[in-house]
Amino acid sequence: MLPALLIFMPFLAGIADYIIAKGSERGRDQFAVIFTWVELALSAILVYLACQGGGNSLLSLDIPHVFSTGLSLRTDGFRSSYSLVTSVMWAFTTLFSLEYFRHEREHLDRYYLFVLFTLGATQGVMLSGDLITTFVFFEILSLTSFTWVMHEETEGALRAGYTYLFIAVIGGLVLFMGLVLLYHAAGTLAYSELYAAVRSSGASSGTILAAGVCIIIGFGCKAGMFPVHVWLPKAHPVAPSPASALLSGVLTKVGIYGILMTGIEVMADSASFGWIVLILGTVTMLLGAVLALFSVNLKRTLACSSMSQIGFILTGIGMTILLSCQSGSVESGFSGLNGHALMAMCGTVLHMVNHSMLKLCLFCAAGVVVMNIHELDLNRIRGWGRGKWALMAAFFLGVVGIGGVPLFNGYASKTLLHEAITAGIAEAGEGAAISASASGILSAIEWIFLISGGCTFAYMLKLFICVFIEKNSDAALQEKYDASGKGYMGAGGYIAVCATSLLFIVLGQKSVFNALASFMTGHADALEEFSPLSFECVKGALISLAIGAALYIVFIRLVLMKRGEYLDRWPKRLDLEDLLYRPLLMRWLPGIFGAVFSIPAENKIMKPLCAGILTAASFIARALAVGTDALIVFLRRTVLKERVIMDNGQKLSFIRKRSDEIHEAYEPIIGNFSFALMLSCIGMMVIFGVIMYYIIVV
Amino acid sequence: MREAGIIISILFPVFGGIFLLESVKMEERTRRIWCEVFACATTAIVWAVILTGNVDEFTVYSFTRGFRITLKVDGPSMLFAGMISAMWPFVTMYAFEYMERAKHKSSFFGFYIMTYGVTLGVAFSGNLLTLYVFYEMLSLVTLPLVSHYQDHESMYAGRVYAAYVIGGAAMALFPTIVMTMFAESGFVWGGHSFSSLSLNFVLILWLLGFFGFGVKAAVLPFHIWLPQATAAPTPVTALLHAVAVVNTGVFAVTRLTWYVFSPEYLSGTWAQITGVLVASATLLYASGRALRERHFKRKLAYSTVSNLSYMLYGIMLMTPAGLQAGLAHMLIHGIIKMSLFLCAGSFIHKSGMHYLYEIDGAGKKMPFTFLFYTLGSLSLTGIPLFSGFISKWHLLTAGAEAGTVWAYIGTVCLITSAFFCAIYSLTASVRAFFPVNGGDLWEGTSLTDPTWRMLVPIGLFSVLNVVIGVYPGPILGFLDQISRGVI
Repeated sequence: MLPALLIFMPFLAGIADYIIAKGSERGRDQFAVIFTWVELALSAILVYLACQGGGNSLLSLDIPHVFSTGLSLRTDGFRSSYSLVTSVMWAFTTLFSLEYFRHEREHLDRYYLFVLFTLGATQGVMLSGDLITTFVFFEILSLTSFTWVMHEETEGALRAGYTYLFIAVIGGLVLFMGLVLLYHAAGTLAYSELYAAVRSSGASSGTILAAGVCIIIGFGCKAGMFPVHVWLPKAHPVAPSPASALLSGVLTKVGIYGILMTGIEVMADSASFGWIVLILGTVTMLLGAVLALFSVNLKRTLACSSMSQIGFILTGIGMTILLSCQSGSVESGFSGLNGHALMAMCGTVLHMVNHSMLKLCLFCAAGVVVMNIHELDLNRIRGWGRGKWALMAAFFLGVVGIGGVPLFNGYASKTLLHEAITAGIAEAGEGAAISASASGILSAIEWIFLISGGCTFAYMLKLFICVFIEKNSDAALQEKYDASGKGYMGAGGYIAVCATSLLFIVLGQKSVFNALASFMTGHADALEEFSPLSFECVKGALISLAIGAALYIVFIRLVLMKRGEYLDRWPKRLDLEDLLYRPLLMRWLPGIFGAVFSIPAENKIMKPLCAGILTAASFIARALAVGTDALIVFLRRTVLKERVIMDNGQKLSFIRKRSDEIHEAYEPIIGNFSFALMLSCIGMMVIFGVIMYYIIVV
Repeated sequence: MREAGIIISILFPVFGGIFLLESVKMEERTRRIWCEVFACATTAIVWAVILTGNVDEFTVYSFTRGFRITLKVDGPSMLFAGMISAMWPFVTMYAFEYMERAKHKSSFFGFYIMTYGVTLGVAFSGNLLTLYVFYEMLSLVTLPLVSHYQDHESMYAGRVYAAYVIGGAAMALFPTIVMTMFAESGFVWGGHSFSSLSLNFVLILWLLGFFGFGVKAAVLPFHIWLPQATAAPTPVTALLHAVAVVNTGVFAVTRLTWYVFSPEYLSGTWAQITGVLVASATLLYASGRALRERHFKRKLAYSTVSNLSYMLYGIMLMTPAGLQAGLAHMLIHGIIKMSLFLCAGSFIHKSGMHYLYEIDGAGKKMPFTFLFYTLGSLSLTGIPLFSGFISKWHLLTAGAEAGTVWAYIGTVCLITSAFFCAIYSLTASVRAFFPVNGGDLWEGTSLTDPTWRMLVPIGLFSVLNVVIGVYPGPILGFLDQISRGVI
C-alpha cells in the first residue's frame, strides 16, 4: 500500500500544483516543496518498515489487469533505500529551485508539473517488482523528464531535447523488444520468478542473451552508457541546475536499476552478460573521464563525470555477475551473492548512493554559480568562488568525495570495486566465467579503472582550482566577483549544497557504509572483513590520486591551457550523434528504403513495362475490333449485297493514333508499379479461370 | 426481430443518405440535425443488436442455389460494427464544422451517411459473396467523397482510388466465386476444408483473395492510392481512410483467412510465408516513407499503411494469439489514427496549412488540439500507459510465439518500423510546442483551438486511448473469445 502512495501521490500532487499555479505562483512553489518533503517522510517510513523485516503487507502490492499484464510493487533493502535517495534528491532540489528560479520565472508551471510527475514515475521504477512495471514507469519518466531538458527553449536546449527524446524513445523500444523476447522465453516478467522460469523453459541461451543485450541497451540509454550516451553531455548544460542534479543523480540510476536487477535476477549465471556489461562499463568509464578532462564548461564537465561514474557502477555490476558465475552460485538475486561477488555488489550499490549524493551537491553548487552570473564557461566563471567559503568547503568535500580520497565516501565504494577487479584477476582460471587467459583483460580493465579514477581527480581539481582558487584574467570582472561575497546563496542553497556535503564524511565511515551496504544487499554485516585502511586498499587509491595529480599538472596545465586560458581542444567533429546517429536515422535508412522500393522499381522498370503492355493491349483490341468490323462489312457486301463504306473508326490507320490517346488517358494510373501488378493479376485471373474450367467442367 | 434490426441498420443510413442527397435547398441547421439523427439512430440500433449477442446466419435473398445474400452477427462483426458505429456520430459532428465553408454539402453528407450503412453491411455479412457485394458497393459510394473538392488533385486521387479498389475487387472476385461454389455454409470460425481441390490451387486462390481484399488494406504493391486519397476532406480521410474503408480490407482478409479458408490448412505453406513477408515489407517500407514525407496528412496516411500491415501481420501468423493481436490493433489503431487525423484536420481547418514545417509553434495557440495529438502519437509509438502499447505488445509476443523464421523477420521489421514511427509521429508534436530553426511561426496570429464540435470528438478518442491503455482487460477478453472461436 505504501509503495502505491509513494508512486501515485506525486501524480495527483502534480496536477494539484498545476491548478494552484493558476491562482498563485508562491502557492505553487510552496506546495511543491511541502509535498516533496512529505514524500521524503513517507520514504523514510518505508525504509523503517523494510528494516523491521519482511512480511509486512504494507510493503508490496499487486494491481492486476492494468496494462494487460498487471503491475507489481515490491520493497526490499535496495529498493527502499533507493526510494529514499530519490525522495531526498527531490526534496533538496525542489527546495533549491525556489531560489534558483527566483529571476527566471518562465515555464515554471510546466516545470513543477513534470518534476512531480517524474518523482512518481521514478518511485515506480525503484519499487517495481517485475520488469513490465519497471518498463511502464521507465517510459513515463523518459517522457516527463524531457521537458526539463527543453525547459529554457533556447536553440541548444531544443536540439539537446530532441536528442534526449529520441534516444529515450528508441531505447524504450529496444527495451520493449528485449522484454518481449524474455517474456516469450520465460512466460513471466516478475524478478523473483524469472531465474527459475528461464532455466526451466529450455530456451536457448542465445535468445536469453539477445534479450539481455536489448535490455542493457534500453536501460543504458537512460543510464548514459556508451554508445548511447550522446544525450548526456548535451542535455545537462542546457537543463536548469536542479533538473541536472535529478537527471544525473537519479534518472541515470533508473537505467542502472534496470541493468542491475536484470543482471542479478535473470542473468545471474550468464558470464557473457557479465562480460558485456563489464566491457561497456569500462569504455563508458574511460570515455566519460576523458571527455570531462577536455571540457571547458562547468556543467558539461560534471555531466561527463556522471557518465564516467556510471561506467564505474556498470563495471561493478559486470564484476558482480562474473564473480558470482565464477564461484558457481546457483541462486539469483541479492541473497545468492557471497564472497567476492557480494563485495562487488556492495561497492556497486554504495557507489550508486555516493554518486547520487555527490551530484546533488555538485550540480546545485554549479546552480549557485549559474543563478548568480549566468555563465558556464570556465574562463568566464574563473575566480568567482574566491572568498565564498561555505560553497568552497562544500565543493571541496565533493572533490575529495568523488575523487576517492581515503576517509571520504567515494573512496570506500571505489576501493570495493577495485578489490572486486583484483579478486577477479586472482580467481582467473578457477571457474568457467573467467578463464586463465582473461586475466590479462581484467588487468587492463584494472588499469583503466585506476586511470579513470585519476582523471576524475584531475578534472575535479581543474574545476575547483578554476572556480575557487585562481583569479580571473579580467581584473575588473574579478573585482566584481570579489565584491559579491555575501548573499550569493540562500537557505535552500545551504541545505542542498552544504548539508549534503557533510554526508560525504559520514558515508566515508566504515560503520556507516557497512550498515548501508548490509541493508541494501540484505546480508548481515556484508563488509565485516573489509578493512578500508589496509595497505592494499590505500595503495590503489594512492596510485589513482597520483595519476590524477600528474594528469592535472602535466596535461591540464600544459596542454589544455595557454596563456592562462582554458582551451577546448576536443575535436568538434568527434561526435557520435552527428557522425552516425542523426544521418543514419534521418537520411541513410529512409534513403535506402526509398531507393530500393520507389525509384528504380516504379520509374525504370514498371513504367515502360506498363506502357508497353497497355499499348500492345490497345493495339490488339483495336485490331480485333477492326477485324470484326471488316468481317461484318464483308458479309454485308457479299451476302446481303448492300453498299457499305467503312468509316474512319473502322480503318486500321486509326489504331496507331488511338493508342497514343489511350496511353494519355491512362497516364495517371500507369505511372506506378501497383497498377502494373494489378494488371498482371487480372491476367493471372484469366489464366486461372481457364484452369478452373478444366478442373470443374472437364 | 433482431434480424430485422440488422437489415434496418444497413438500409436506414442508405436511405437516409439518399434523402440527404436531395437536401440541396435544406437549411444548414436542419441538415445537421437530420445527419445526426440518421447517424445516432443507426448507432443505437447497431448497439442494441450487438449487445444482445450472436445472430445466426440468415438468408436475405437467394439468387440461385448456393448464391445467397446472407447476414449474421458474430465476434468479428460485433467488433467491427461496434467500432465504426461508435465513431460515426462523433466524426459527423466534427464534419459539420470542418465542412462549413465547403460547397456541395448535401452530396457530401449524403454519401457520408450512406457509407455508414454499406460499411455495416460489410460487418454483418454472413458469407463471402455478401461481403464481396458490400465491399464493391463501399468502393463506389466512397468515390464521390474522395473527389469531393473536384479540383485537379482530388479528381486525380479519385481516379487512382477507383482503379485500385475496383481492380482489387476484380482479383478477389475469382476466389469469391470458387469459394461460394465449394463452401456451402457461410463464415465459420476455423474455415472449411477443401479436400477436393489441390493444395496449390487453394493457396493461389487464397493469395488472390489476400491481394484483392488487401488493396483496401494497402499492402505493398497496392498502397499508392491511400496517400493520394488524402486529397479528400479530413473527415473522410479520418473516418474512411484510417478506419472504415481500410479496416474493411483487413476485416475481409480476416474473414477470408479464418472463416473461409482454414488457418490450419494454410499455416506453414508458401502462401502464408508470402502473406507474412508482404505484410512485414509493407509495414517497414511505409513507415520509412512516412519519415520522409512532409505533407501532414500524407505522413499520417503512410503511417496508416504501415499500421494496417501490423494488423495483417498478426492475422497472417495464423495463430489465435496473432488473430487477437491483429484485431486488437485494428480497434486500437482506429482510435489512435482517428484522433491524429482529426487533430491534423483541426490544424488544417484553422490555419489553412498542410505541411509539417508550417506547424512550428502552433501548439501554443492550439494547446488542446496538440495535446490530444501528442497523446495519440505517443500511443502510436507504443509507449505504455497508452493503448498502442497493448496491441504492439501482443503483436510482438504473438510473433515470437509463432516461432517461425518468417515471424521473427516480421518482429524485427515491426520493431524497426516502431523506431521510425517514434520519430515521424513525435516530430510533429514536439515541433508544435517547441519550434525549431525558424522560430515560432504563429506568434501574434489569431490561430485558436476549434470549437467544441471538433474538440469533443478528439477528446473522447484520446480519453478512450488512455482508458484502453491502462485497463485493456475487458476488450482483450472479448478479442480472446473471438480468436478462440467462442463467439
